[in-house]
Amino acid sequence: MSDSGNKQDEMMNCGLSIQEHDVLQQRLRELEDTPPPRAVWQRIEEQARAEGLFAQRVPERTKWLAGAGLAAAVVLAVLNIPVTPLIDSGEQQFPTEPEYAATTANGEDMGDLNALMVQSQQIERNLRALPAQPSVMRAGTAATISELEDQVAAIDYLLTHPEFQLSAEQQEMYWRDRVRLMNSLLQLRAAQAQRVSF
Amino acid sequence: MSKFGDIQIDPGIVKRAARGDAKAHEIIYRAFSAPVYSVCLRFTRIPAQAEDLLQDTFMEVIRSIGNFRGDAPLGFWIRQVAVSKALMFLRSAWHKRGQSLDDDWEESATGTGHGNPVQPEQAIDLDAALGALPPVSRAVVWLHDVEGFTHKEIAALLGKTESFSKSQLSRAYQRLRPLLDAEVTRAESATAMQGSSVLGSY
Repeated sequence: MSDSGNKQDEMMNCGLSIQEHDVLQQRLRELEDTPPPRAVWQRIEEQARAEGLFAQRVPERTKWLAGAGLAAAVVLAVLNIPVTPLIDSGEQQFPTEPEYAATTANGEDMGDLNALMVQSQQIERNLRALPAQPSVMRAGTAATISELEDQVAAIDYLLTHPEFQLSAEQQEMYWRDRVRLMNSLLQLRAAQAQRVSF
Repeated sequence: MSKFGDIQIDPGIVKRAARGDAKAHEIIYRAFSAPVYSVCLRFTRIPAQAEDLLQDTFMEVIRSIGNFRGDAPLGFWIRQVAVSKALMFLRSAWHKRGQSLDDDWEESATGTGHGNPVQPEQAIDLDAALGALPPVSRAVVWLHDVEGFTHKEIAALLGKTESFSKSQLSRAYQRLRPLLDAEVTRAESATAMQGSSVLGSY
């Protein structure tokens, strides 16, 4: 039997015509949701922490900035690249494009890995030049930023711990991923800063 | 379509929640708290009970999200947890009062003064009309007509037979029918007037 036939039978058995049932369904689905009181999440969070259900976390931002800073400092020292001081011009212009070049100050080709390291360092400088994150932000944006920071932290952990014994190809792959993630983070943070400045 | 199925959560957030990430759990809570609370409130009609059920539901989500396999949308899994909790509450309330679910309609008809069919003038407030139904019947209507549960599924959740579910639905429909008749008549009149004005314009 067809779906409409089944529905008709069911409705007749329940004492409603198809039209009446359609109206009922439509009206029921139009009813608005009621938001719960704000305090409920606090109670849930307290209970979950008391039961040890939430993981203890070191602030990821601190972790990855420290790791990345160290890695970048080592690279710059080895390559003898001059570091441009950050100048706060006071203008609401936020850099979002990495102003890197895959060459040293002397114009020598540094190879892909070195170029990626320099690019990564440049993006970090651009990130630091942005205003501090607003205390209130959209849940989706906060989640995406946090996710990106977690992924960068994981890569930094791999790159800075010698016990992983990464091959040159693996190192390049991870640095490439790092640059990609940092670029996404920069775009997001810059867009966020632009919104706040308006 | 249920509202639970419309809410999309990034799989990365779900993975983080499974690792015990508090922020990820808060994101999931913010996304689903209103539909969960609304279902609990519709079933119980008591805000304090609905809050407790909301808390119970999300504690269960936090404890068990590691078992969520992702075969169906996260919203349907959360809905299942919420509905189970809310129905368990209804059943336990009845047990506490020494009554079975089958007494539901008798109490409604005699005890509360809401036993009469809904009057057409009540048509503007379906929420109030639903509220006048016995709790289990109201839950059956909601699960069947909004969340799309079958009688078999509802019967399993209530620990009853399919006939019980159908009977509850049928009695609820009888109660709501005057309201629906008024709506259908109004809709038909509007359609007829629209048709005549279209004809008149030629």
